[in-house]
Amino acid sequence: MTGSVTQFRNLIDALAAAPGDRPFVTAWIDEDERETVSFAEFRERARSQAKVLREHGVNAGDRVIILMPQSISAMTTFIAAMMLGAVPTFLAYPNFKVEASKYRSGLAGVTANLEAKVVVIDEQFPDDMLGHVSLSEGTLVLRAVDNPGSPADDEPSHLEIPAESLAFIQHSAGTTGLQKGVALTHTAVLRQLEHLAHALKIDGAADRIYSWLPLYHDMGLIACFMLPMVCHMPVVMQSPLDWVMHPETMLQVISEYRCTLAWMPNFAFQFVPRRTPRSHWTRYDLSSARALINCSEPVRSSSMLEFHNAFSAIGLKNGVLQSSYAMAENVFAVTQSDIDRPEGPARIWADAQRFRSTHQIVPVAKDTPGALSFTSSGRVLPGNEIQIGSDSGTGISLAPGHVGEILIRGDSLFTGYYNRPDLTAHAIIDGWYHTGDLGFFLEDELYVIGRKKDLLIVGGENLYPQDIEEIVASHPAIHDGRSVAIGVYNPDLGTEDIVVVAEVERQELLANAQNIEREIRNQIVEGLGIAVRMIFLKPPKWIVKSTAGKAARPATREKLFKEHPDFNLESSNLDS
Amino acid sequence: MTAEAQQMIEHVLSLIRKPGLTIDENTPLVSSGLIDSMALVDLLLKLEDLTRMRIPPGKVQPKHMDTVALMFATAQRVGKPRK
Repeated sequence: MTGSVTQFRNLIDALAAAPGDRPFVTAWIDEDERETVSFAEFRERARSQAKVLREHGVNAGDRVIILMPQSISAMTTFIAAMMLGAVPTFLAYPNFKVEASKYRSGLAGVTANLEAKVVVIDEQFPDDMLGHVSLSEGTLVLRAVDNPGSPADDEPSHLEIPAESLAFIQHSAGTTGLQKGVALTHTAVLRQLEHLAHALKIDGAADRIYSWLPLYHDMGLIACFMLPMVCHMPVVMQSPLDWVMHPETMLQVISEYRCTLAWMPNFAFQFVPRRTPRSHWTRYDLSSARALINCSEPVRSSSMLEFHNAFSAIGLKNGVLQSSYAMAENVFAVTQSDIDRPEGPARIWADAQRFRSTHQIVPVAKDTPGALSFTSSGRVLPGNEIQIGSDSGTGISLAPGHVGEILIRGDSLFTGYYNRPDLTAHAIIDGWYHTGDLGFFLEDELYVIGRKKDLLIVGGENLYPQDIEEIVASHPAIHDGRSVAIGVYNPDLGTEDIVVVAEVERQELLANAQNIEREIRNQIVEGLGIAVRMIFLKPPKWIVKSTAGKAARPATREKLFKEHPDFNLESSNLDS
Repeated sequence: MTAEAQQMIEHVLSLIRKPGLTIDENTPLVSSGLIDSMALVDLLLKLEDLTRMRIPPGKVQPKHMDTVALMFATAQRVGKPRK
């Protein structure tokens, strides 16, 4: 790329400067169906949609929710809102498994918090999901803003958008109950993209991204939409659902389009080789890839190794598999592994006993029996700082090799959760964002090992255990407040499974366990659209309580593992 | 029930691995939480095998794979001859 990303005053200026004839987004549906738009065509469509939005009263500063399937149209709508100085946000498209009334109430909560002016949906959006429910007072539902017949209006693109105004809102978790909107300014986003483009040595004319990542997730939105838009680089995109049903298409698209960059959560590095028939591997060629970045779940070297061993015979070069630590609150990346290192991210082995007893990393030789292995997430990006916080809260960063909470500060950090000063005050203390993740520093590289907070990460998506527990507790046979949802690493999938433990009201209800379990399973699917792996029903008073009388997740988890050793549950997020 | 449907039912049971569970052609699998989205690829690959067809992604949604009967109907609707 020539010049700096931060030369642009805002994201719309960056888009305007892109060479019109260069391909921007290719939406890959399947072998026989795909659509590509150039930067000029993309701008044109966005301008025409901006005109429609403005006709419906959208002005600078208004929040616009986009509820559309992964598509070029969803992306141009997002930019259309931004062209007007409005603040767009993508939310997850309704999953058919989720019951309509539950979906609506979750959506109503988010639109109310955002005080959204408009919700844009596609033509196929299921009626029963919106029904007769008024979302929140003053919120307008617009169906299909796509309006290719309408002549584009140049005016919106001439609008002056202040660099310090909000560009968009990212949501940090997949479930709706506790949605936190991360509000980001144009300046913060451009600074992040500048650091990222530099660390990855992006060349807009030579690089091409492959993505199956959802646009409502930071990897999909920042790395695979904003980064290519600002660096004037093509991206080939498919929908997450299409990918998860045909993970082989990743190999197909990278081979056909000669893609150079992609981001994926850890599980995908196992999922693709395991779910692509071995006899198909030789059809593909991964020699164009220069960085496939493991991000948004703790990085496991076993998953990376599996991908590498599977595909090195079809052109995958050494050092292509890389890692990064990222979160919506920092726009995206905080660290990035050194992409010039031919052996990939640093890996160390540590004494297991010392790690478990004193939370300290004492490096040992690679082949030491029982040693724990950790994979680095790389070095801190320029403009960013990391502290490893101690539990004593002294404000002094722990020494290298000591495990503590990761705190971050930097020039792309968010200023707060939209309309939620209460949540913001908990998250940002003295300018440092408390990530809730645990990690340590060694030789200037960050290693992320797990979480302090009780967040579940399934396939790269964040879920709050409270959302699941609330549904479980609503079952009449379950004692109120006596259920716990935990994430348990599934080595076959390379990600976490959700496991629920719940106490029945009375011992004799256990005779009916199978039915209760089925009903709870159904309710969780209807409420959240997710499948849990195991439900353990236990007699009253089984769950371990904290001193405050609440169900204690970590202690309950330990008790569960002790009682079910056959259920081979690895209690930490570590490779051994 | 066709022999292929019976084979698919057995495949589904082997994926779920829940002792004592029985399912038939019309048992909801995805919408009941018995199968998660990451297992859909196993069902599609099996479906392609059993029907000897190529089933293009992009034409199939999880809801089209909710029961064994629906899976075969979906294959009929969107399947293409193998190349």
